[in-house]
Amino acid sequence: MADKTSDAVDRLLASAFAADPVADDGFSNRIVSKLRRRIWVNRLALPVAILVGAAFALKPAVQIVNALLPLLNAVPIEIARVPMEFLPQIQWVVLGGMAFAAGVTLVKMLEET
Amino acid sequence: MVASQDTGAFGELIRRHQSQVRNFLRRLTRDETLADDLAQDCFLHAWDKIHTYTGSGSFIGWLLRVAYTTFLQSKRKSKRYREIVEQAGHEAEHGPTAIEGDPAAELDVDTLMAALNEQERVIMIFSYACGLSHREISEATDMPAGTVKSIIHRAKEKIRTQFEIEDHQYG
Repeated sequence: MADKTSDAVDRLLASAFAADPVADDGFSNRIVSKLRRRIWVNRLALPVAILVGAAFALKPAVQIVNALLPLLNAVPIEIARVPMEFLPQIQWVVLGGMAFAAGVTLVKMLEET
Repeated sequence: MVASQDTGAFGELIRRHQSQVRNFLRRLTRDETLADDLAQDCFLHAWDKIHTYTGSGSFIGWLLRVAYTTFLQSKRKSKRYREIVEQAGHEAEHGPTAIEGDPAAELDVDTLMAALNEQERVIMIFSYACGLSHREISEATDMPAGTVKSIIHRAKEKIRTQFEIEDHQYG
């Protein structure tokens, strides 16, 4: 008896809860677009932070190097002359780092597209 | 594919399950706009947590668990969400519980759910609107399967008693 009564409630609930499917109407595409934007923001966050940080650090870094350059006078000229010709200047090191970060970002963008 | 963060494959999963998730949240919130906002949050959370789906249960069961968690979190965090959900719960609890004449004559979901408390409503929505098994509901709500069964039984008894449902009806 109780089971049969439960079956009636089951049927009632099943019919009451029966619902037409909700039309997509661009819902899925909106979420996928949002996801793709979020992925790009996450991917770009680190390279952009590096570039901004490098841009801010460039001037102080150059000043530090310039301040340290007189110390090189303490190094015997025979030792300092040859290596100095081959050592890149700090500006080139920073610019190279920035170009590398930009290159990595570009490669990731190309991989995605 | 999805586990490796393929948005195309995930988009296909969204298209396949969005109707069920949105219907579930609409039943819970009784507010279409709020439900759709929550459904969007749910799918974004699902994307972040997709690696936790082990494949042991049905995907829709896992997804509805994410949807339910999203619903509970929003209810706690957002004043606006909380107001709408509380208003919906208040209407359900104080809405029409008796219909003149035949009590079972014009029973819709809102009328039936008004007879139940919030916990019972959630479990019944999982069971009847989403078609989840007791085990899946147990996983989605972090309740023992035995508790789920007894809540369903109690809710059905409440509905049967309150609306005087006979065993020959709705055949």
